[in-house]
Amino acid sequence: MDAVNSLFLLDDSSLVRKCQGGDGLAFGTLVERHYALVHGCSYRRVGNRADAEDIAQEVMVKLGSAIKALREPAALRGFLLRLTINAVTDHFRKKTRENRGLASYFVDPTTKLAAEAEDQTSTLWVAVRRLPDKQRDAVLLVYGDGATHREAAEALGCAEATISFHVHEARKRLKEMLKEDAQ
Amino acid sequence: MSDPEFDLSDLSKMPVPEPRPVAIAAAKRAALEAFENSTQKSFAPTKGFDFTTRLIRIATKLWSFTMNTRLLSGTALATLLIAPFAGITAYQLMQQRGVVAPVTTEQMVAPPEVLPQGAPQVMAETKNIVAPAKPALPQASRNDMGIVRKAKNPDAIADLKMEESDALAATSNDVIMSPGSSPPVNGPVPMAMEPMANVPMDAAESGYITQAPDVQRLENENRDKFTVVRSNSVVAVATQPVSTFSVDVDTSGYSSLRRMLNQGILPEHDAVRLEEMVNYFPYAYAGPETATEAFMANVTVTPTPWNQNTKLLHIGIKGYDLPVTEQKAANLVFLLDVSGSMDAPDKLPLLKASFRLLVNKLKPTDTVSIVTYAGDAGIVLEPTKASDKAKILNAIDNLQPGGSTAGEAGINAAYKLAEQAFVKDGVNRIMLATDGDFNVGAASDEDLKKLVEDKRKSGVFLSVLGFGQGNYQDNLMQTLAQNGNGIAAYIDTLGEAEKVLVQEATASLFTIAKDVKIQVEFNPETVSEYRLIGYETRHLNNEDFNNDRVDAGDIGSGHTVTAVYEMTPKGAPGQTNDPLRYNTDAAKPATNDSGEYAFVKIRYKLPSEATSRLVTQPVTAANEVKDIAAAPEDVRFGIAVTAFGEKLRDEDQVSNYPYADIEKLASSSRGTDAFGYRGEFMKLVRLAAGLNP
Repeated sequence: MDAVNSLFLLDDSSLVRKCQGGDGLAFGTLVERHYALVHGCSYRRVGNRADAEDIAQEVMVKLGSAIKALREPAALRGFLLRLTINAVTDHFRKKTRENRGLASYFVDPTTKLAAEAEDQTSTLWVAVRRLPDKQRDAVLLVYGDGATHREAAEALGCAEATISFHVHEARKRLKEMLKEDAQ
Repeated sequence: MSDPEFDLSDLSKMPVPEPRPVAIAAAKRAALEAFENSTQKSFAPTKGFDFTTRLIRIATKLWSFTMNTRLLSGTALATLLIAPFAGITAYQLMQQRGVVAPVTTEQMVAPPEVLPQGAPQVMAETKNIVAPAKPALPQASRNDMGIVRKAKNPDAIADLKMEESDALAATSNDVIMSPGSSPPVNGPVPMAMEPMANVPMDAAESGYITQAPDVQRLENENRDKFTVVRSNSVVAVATQPVSTFSVDVDTSGYSSLRRMLNQGILPEHDAVRLEEMVNYFPYAYAGPETATEAFMANVTVTPTPWNQNTKLLHIGIKGYDLPVTEQKAANLVFLLDVSGSMDAPDKLPLLKASFRLLVNKLKPTDTVSIVTYAGDAGIVLEPTKASDKAKILNAIDNLQPGGSTAGEAGINAAYKLAEQAFVKDGVNRIMLATDGDFNVGAASDEDLKKLVEDKRKSGVFLSVLGFGQGNYQDNLMQTLAQNGNGIAAYIDTLGEAEKVLVQEATASLFTIAKDVKIQVEFNPETVSEYRLIGYETRHLNNEDFNNDRVDAGDIGSGHTVTAVYEMTPKGAPGQTNDPLRYNTDAAKPATNDSGEYAFVKIRYKLPSEATSRLVTQPVTAANEVKDIAAAPEDVRFGIAVTAFGEKLRDEDQVSNYPYADIEKLASSSRGTDAFGYRGEFMKLVRLAAGLNP
C-alpha cells in the first residue's frame, strides 16, 4: 500500500517517467488523477454521460499505448486533451456514419446535442457551437475545460499565440452573433 | 442597441456529473491492458533496427518542421508528404527484417489469431465488438496484407512530442487491413486511402505479424488441457442426506473463460469451473472478529430464479482479514518459466510486469529469490530482502526467453532456496509462473504432485500463476496448487495481475485456515432432493470430513468462498427421483420438528495446527427470504454467476432461464463494484448470449 500512497505525491512528470520504466502502478495513478479532466472535457462536448465515459475510457487506453513514447512528460495534460478532442471528433464522425441513410445525416449534430443536454441550451453555448471549429475548440478548452493557453496549444497542435488569436477572434465573432440573435 | 454582454467563463459553469467510480475503474483496467501491451512492445528484441529508425526520424523531423512553419496547407502537404513517406516505408520493409509495425491495437482489424494476444480483447472490451472468430485463410491474408494510411488530418501527426514509431502508432490513423477478412467495424472509415506499400511475405513474417507462434498454432489444435467435469447430479435426501466437499478459492477458471468469450469463443462445457467463477468476485460477507475463529459462514435460502419449485441454499464463508500489522514476514521464491514457449507478448513480458507489481507490494523485511527454468534451471537471484527493491526489479527485467522447459530441476532448486531463506512462523511460498509446458523429464505428473505434497508438510507452500493459452495445462496447475496449499490463478491481463497480486495479495500469501472442508446434512423432513452446483473436482467422501489426514482447500486472509445448493423442498412438484418403495421409518433419523432445512458443518485447521476445529450452523426458516429480491446483494450476484456458469454448461435446469434474466439479476445486485468486476461480468453475459445460436 505504501508504494501506491507515495505515488500520489509525485507530479505528472515523475509518474510519466516511472511509466516509461514499465511501472503499472504509476500508470494507474495517472489514470485516476486525470480521469476527471478527460471525462469533463468529453462531457462538455458530447453532452451525455454514457458517451463521455466511453470516450474517456478510449482516451485512457490510447494513453496506455502511447505513454512510453511521450517525449515531454510535463505536457501530459495537453496531450490528454488532444487525445480527447480527437476521440470526440471521431465519435461525432462515427455517429454521423451510423445515421447515414437517414435524414439525420444532414442535421447539424450540435442541434441534437443541445436537445440532449438541457444545460447546454443557453444562448452562449449555442453561439459557441456555431463558431468555426478552431475558434470553438480554443474557447472551449480555455474557458470550458480550464486549460492554460499552453495546454490548449499542445492539445490543438499549434502555437500559444495562435490560441490567443483564436480566442480573440472568437470573442469578436460571438459578440456579433449574439447581437444578431438579440435583434 | 448596445453590445450584448457575455462572459466566456460561464462556459465552465456547465454542470459535469461526477465521474462514476465504476467507469474510472473500467477505464483503468482497459488502459492498464493497453499499457501492458505497449510494455511488451518495448521489450521486443530490436535487432537490425538502427538504420530504419533513423530514416523515419528524418521523415518525421522534416514533416514537423514543415508543419510548424505553416508553409503549406494541410491537405496539399499531406499529398506531397505521402509520397516520400510511402517510399521510405516500402524501402524499409523490403530491406529490413525484424521491423516492428506501427500498429494501434484499437485500429487493427484482423482475425484474432493473427493479432497480438491482447488486441482482440481490448477491442472487445472498449468497443463491444467481437472480431471475426476465424480467418478465412491465414496464409492468404498474410500474403497480401496491405497497409493503408488515411490521408486526413496530417497535423495530428505533425508536431507530436513523442518518439517516432510508437508515436505514430499511438495517435495517427494508420489502419492495417487484411483484405481476406471483413472490413473494419470499429475504426474510422478512411475517406481517401492511399496504398503505401504491399508488404512482402518475409516482412510480414518478420515484423508485421508479431505473433508468429500463434499463427502456427492455428494449424495445430488447441492444446489447452482441462479436466473433464461431470456436473453433480440431483440426489435424493432419503438415500444420501450428506454432501461433503473441499473449499476452493481458485479463480483461474473465470479468467480463462473471460478470455475465451472476449475472443468470440464459447467455452467447452468441460472448461467451465463453476465454483471458480463464483469465487472470482469479492463479496462483503460478514467476517469473524478474531484469528482463532478463522472464518464465519453466512447462509441464505432463497427461491430459485430459474425454477419455482426449488430453493437455493447459498453458503458464503468469509476468512478472517489479517490486519497489516499482524502480517508475518514472507519468504517468496519466484519460479519462473522462461522457456521458448514463453516468448509471446501475453506471457513473459506480462509475467515480468505482474511480478513487478507484486514486488512493489512487499514489506522491506520480506525476501525474494528467483529461479528460472529453461533448458537448465538457474538461480537468477539469491534470497534478497525486499528493501533492496532495485536489485529484484533489475533481475526481473533481465529475464530472457529461450530453451525448452526443465520443470523438475527448476522446482527442486526453488525448494532449496525456499528452505535456505526459511522464515519460521512466516510465509514460505513458491510462486510458480508458467504457460504449462512443464516437462519434468522422467518424472510424471504424479511424482511432481507427491514432491509438492511432501514439501507442503515442511512448511513451504506453492501457488501457481498461469500465463498464455493454447498450451495451458489447467489440470496439472490445479493439481499442483491444490497439493501445495496455494492458489491457482490465471493471468491474462495486467489488470488481472493487479487483482491477484496487489488487491488480493494478503489473501494469496497469508493462509488463515487450511484443509477447510464443508459438509451439509439435509433434513429429509423438509428437503427431498438437492444438488451441489460446481465443486465437482473438489468432491470428498463423507468419511473424509472427520479425517484430519485428508487434505482440502485453504482459505487466505480475507478470502470469501461461496457454495450454492439447489434443493427441492419436500412435497414440491418436479422431483427427479421417485420416492423409495421400501423406505421404512426405521431408516429415518430421530424425528425433529425443528423445520431446519439442513445442518452445515465446517472443519478447518489453523495454519500451525494439525488437528481440526469444527464450526456448525443450522439452516432454518430464519435464514430464508421469500423473494430473491429480498436476498442480500452479494447473494443475488453469486446466484447470477452460478446461473451463468450453468448456462454455459448447458444444464437442463437453466434451459428456460434466458441470459437476459441473468444480466438483469446481476445488474440489480451490482452494488458499488469499486473495481468494475461485476460490470465486466455483465458484459460477458451479453457476449455469451450473442454467441449462442
